Amino acid sequence: MDEQEQAQITQLQQQQMMLTQALKAALEGRWVGGADTVEGWLLAIDPGLTGELSPDPPSYS
Amino acid sequence: MTRPEIQQLQDQQAYLTAAVRALLEGQWCGGPPSGQAFVGALDPNLTIDCREPILESETPPEINYPDPNESMPGQLYSWTCSACACDWLMRAYGKGFNPADIYNSREQTVYAIGYPNNINSSYGLMDGSGSQLQRVLGDVGIQTAQAWLTFDQVYAIAAQGRAGCMSGGAWYHWCGIRGVDGDTIWIANSAPGYMSVWNNLNRTDFNRLGPFSCVIVTEA
Repeated sequence: MDEQEQAQITQLQQQQMMLTQALKAALEGRWVGGADTVEGWLLAIDPGLTGELSPDPPSYS
Repeated sequence: MTRPEIQQLQDQQAYLTAAVRALLEGQWCGGPPSGQAFVGALDPNLTIDCREPILESETPPEINYPDPNESMPGQLYSWTCSACACDWLMRAYGKGFNPADIYNSREQTVYAIGYPNNINSSYGLMDGSGSQLQRVLGDVGIQTAQAWLTFDQVYAIAAQGRAGCMSGGAWYHWCGIRGVDGDTIWIANSAPGYMSVWNNLNRTDFNRLGPFSCVIVTEA
């Protein structure tokens, strides 16, 4: 495995970790308004989504 | 050059990210760009029994209930019942012009209704349907609907905790709607005893004193 492949796998592992955290936040009802939310983890995965998201999360009331 | 296995993982990661974004944006089921579609793209063999949650954008606004016990002192002038009822309704929602001084609040309400063109000492409220009351209420953020209602209709609305004000054609008098009390409508009456009505309006009195123009709060 060369260095480029190693870097790609490292990035995939980080993304998988963040997706896992995003799904955990979703299951726990934290969708918007902070780092440990679905929105927060999505922006961490892809900063290019900043200003592009239109959240409409489930209602828990 | 990316190995095919790594490329596949990157594509799957992109689908997962897109799926999570779709859920965040309230697009759960159906065709792309929905969570169901992206998860289906990850594994076409999945059978997804997709169920939509109720979204924040779909939840109705919370009803701001008035205080039905808001006080209604007697009116000082015979022609100001409509202003008293309108002022009571605003105070019941915490939106009176001067909560510390009810009579000053009523005076301000008279001028907000429009003295002397819309309300005056000769005729009282000029438009008996209550359109000017609706305008004043709307200006403080209390949205209303007007209708000529039956006793059963007013009773049903009042029983839900929705307030309003109303005027009987034969009564020639406006009062506030506090709620219900037994089989009567519980009212805020600035002229208790006038035409034998105090704090409650029963079916017989309602039919005797009507027809009733009702201004009912729809959103506050």
